[in-house]
Amino acid sequence: MKNVIEVKNLTKEYKELKAVDNLSFAVQEGEILGLLGPNGSGKSTTINCILSLLNFSEGSIKIFGKEMKPDAYDIKKDIGVVFQDVAVFEELSVYDNIDYFCGLYIKDKRVRKKYVEEAIQLVGLEEFKNFFPKKLSGGLLRRLNIACGIAHKPKLIFLDEPTVAVDPQSRNNILDGIKMLRDRGATIIYTTHYMEEVEILCDRVIILDKGKIIASGTNAEVKALASIEEKVSVEAIDLDKKYIDEIKKFKNVDEVIYNNNILFIRYKKGKNNLDTLLDYLKEEHIKYNKIYSERPTLNDVFLELTGKELRD
Amino acid sequence: MFIHNFKYALKTLFRNKMLIFWTFAFPIILGTFFNMAFSDIEKSEKLDIIDIAIVETDEFKNNEIFKESFKELSNKKNKDRLFNTKYVEESEAKELLKSNKITGYLLLKDTPKVVVTTSGINETILKYVTEEIKQTEKIVENLAQSEIKKEVEKKNYNIDYDQIYNKVLEITKDSDANIKNITSHNLSYTMIEFYTLIAMACLYGGILGMVAINQNLANMSSNGKRVSVAPTSKGKLILSSVLASYITQLIGIFLLFIYTIFALKVDYGNNLALVILLATVGSFAGLSLGVAVACLFKANDNVKTGIVISITMFGCFLSGMMGITMKYIIDKNIPIINKLNPANMITDGFYSLYYYDTLDRFYFNVVSLLIFAFLMIAISMFSLRRQKYDSI
Ligand SMILES: Nc1ncnc2c1ncn2[C@@H]1O[C@H](COP(=O)(O)OP(=O)(O)OP(=O)(O)O)[C@@H](O)[C@H]1O
Ligand SMILES: [Mg+2]
Repeated sequence: MKNVIEVKNLTKEYKELKAVDNLSFAVQEGEILGLLGPNGSGKSTTINCILSLLNFSEGSIKIFGKEMKPDAYDIKKDIGVVFQDVAVFEELSVYDNIDYFCGLYIKDKRVRKKYVEEAIQLVGLEEFKNFFPKKLSGGLLRRLNIACGIAHKPKLIFLDEPTVAVDPQSRNNILDGIKMLRDRGATIIYTTHYMEEVEILCDRVIILDKGKIIASGTNAEVKALASIEEKVSVEAIDLDKKYIDEIKKFKNVDEVIYNNNILFIRYKKGKNNLDTLLDYLKEEHIKYNKIYSERPTLNDVFLELTGKELRD
Repeated sequence: MFIHNFKYALKTLFRNKMLIFWTFAFPIILGTFFNMAFSDIEKSEKLDIIDIAIVETDEFKNNEIFKESFKELSNKKNKDRLFNTKYVEESEAKELLKSNKITGYLLLKDTPKVVVTTSGINETILKYVTEEIKQTEKIVENLAQSEIKKEVEKKNYNIDYDQIYNKVLEITKDSDANIKNITSHNLSYTMIEFYTLIAMACLYGGILGMVAINQNLANMSSNGKRVSVAPTSKGKLILSSVLASYITQLIGIFLLFIYTIFALKVDYGNNLALVILLATVGSFAGLSLGVAVACLFKANDNVKTGIVISITMFGCFLSGMMGITMKYIIDKNIPIINKLNPANMITDGFYSLYYYDTLDRFYFNVVSLLIFAFLMIAISMFSLRRQKYDSI
């Protein structure tokens, strides 16, 4: 696998604050890499450094094997960026906005027309072609924002939280579109603080906190870092305390909480936890309504590594 | 790419309601108000001949330039005469002023002094005329001195002073200090307000220049970030956007001229080519001011629009937008301010084009504007050279 981006020892400081701290990672051709991290963890700063918009104190950045510079036009022509803030012209229609930004990359008018139409289709804005941004809902605006960044069919795409403040349906549309871009052969860097998006979308994930990488790998690899095996919740009315004390003594049990008629059990690594629990409930004739079992999430990993939640 | 960007820049400018208001509509609206306010003043004031007195000091009697000028300006045969002049003793002049029989009086001792009690338009005219005559006198003096010096250098000590005097008068007749034009017909002091109006419109074009910069810089706007990651040269993009702004601005100025000339009957003199030259150069200065503001301040469009508007309005105020008195005070006491004030350069350019027969003062203003513009651009270039930012 070819590395499309190589970031080595990137450090970026704002006055006294280290926004990116000695970051090194590579992005492979054709993958969707998720940059996951809470607010202020340095995701946008990292992207802006990679794009040569920001000065950084240390580190090197290579894209397509060449050093990235502000005037490296041969690199830039194959990059598409969707910034975190919506960047469109209020005075231009949906079509014109996409055409304007696409025109900075694609000179041939006929090719451009085709590309713009395709981008509109990809993000599903066919009915809104002649709308002005003010008349678009938040989700539609985000879709326009994406279309403006990717209409020129870049080989490498940066998406910085493209789904912030978007309703679930719009979000699914957007995520489908992004998958489609990957299937067309693009390499994608996707930042978010929604771990669900990373789980649906990304081939690999890097978790950032305070400008540092605290975990990276495939979803499964990162989740394996969690020390817990699963979390089980049982809805049981008026459970006697003696049962709870008994359950606490089970193998692998890390923590038991009984609250609002819900019994919550967290298990450390180990097998057959749920079986043991179900057998016990049956034996003791304990009545329960519902039972859920959850595998560890990226949030659990993050919680363990940093002591705080991904999203506040 | 240059043309692509240019086309879309024009499109966004013309669709931006706020920009169009400030650069197109506002000057026209303000001009209409001026016209309503002044048409009344003009009508009533024009009939007035200003009553003044001159103290008959020896200095006055011996000062040909002052004596002749006031005589001409008070000549009853002159239908455009400005003053009704009494020649009196100082004590009597004081009395007349006290009893409001005159607007003010001129006391010529070592220097000419105008004594008034209030400050109104009539007072300003008297002061203004006196100042102009003083300037003429100075020029005549300098000329005479240099003529005498020439003679002396030629080792001719037998100087014919009469001949020199006539020669000097001959020269001054064509110079821009010539005051033959100062009559009530010509001294339409409201004209200057309309000239500052054009100056204001030219400088408001700065808002368009500012937008062109903000839109293309990654540290100024989100759109700027987007164009900065495109494989296009920053210089080319900015040049093309600024050009679109300039053209938009010139269209606005053109409309304003059409409106003021045909609807408000403002007179810009006969030399249309020079009027266009001044408006073009003035707009360029305004554009460059906006570009510099955009480069030097880190703020959003609205804040920067505010900055450009404030600078413009203050400059226009100093150059006489709210009354010629202000221009007179600044020109007289702190001339350097108006020499540096682009609004005054434009106003004064139109003014000199209209009132003076020679073009020295006009070209001085045009060149000043160009220097101002290049200075602004030089400052901007310095900050535009940056390709990456410490913070965006
Ligand atoms: N222009 C700036 N000046 C000073 N500090 C900044 C600036 N931009 C960002 N920071 C700081 O740098 C850190 C990283 O910010 P960054 O925007 O990269 O975070 P992020 O991961 O993108 O967060 P979010 O999820 O909120 O977008 C934050 O602590 C932020 O406060
Ligand atoms: Mg961010």
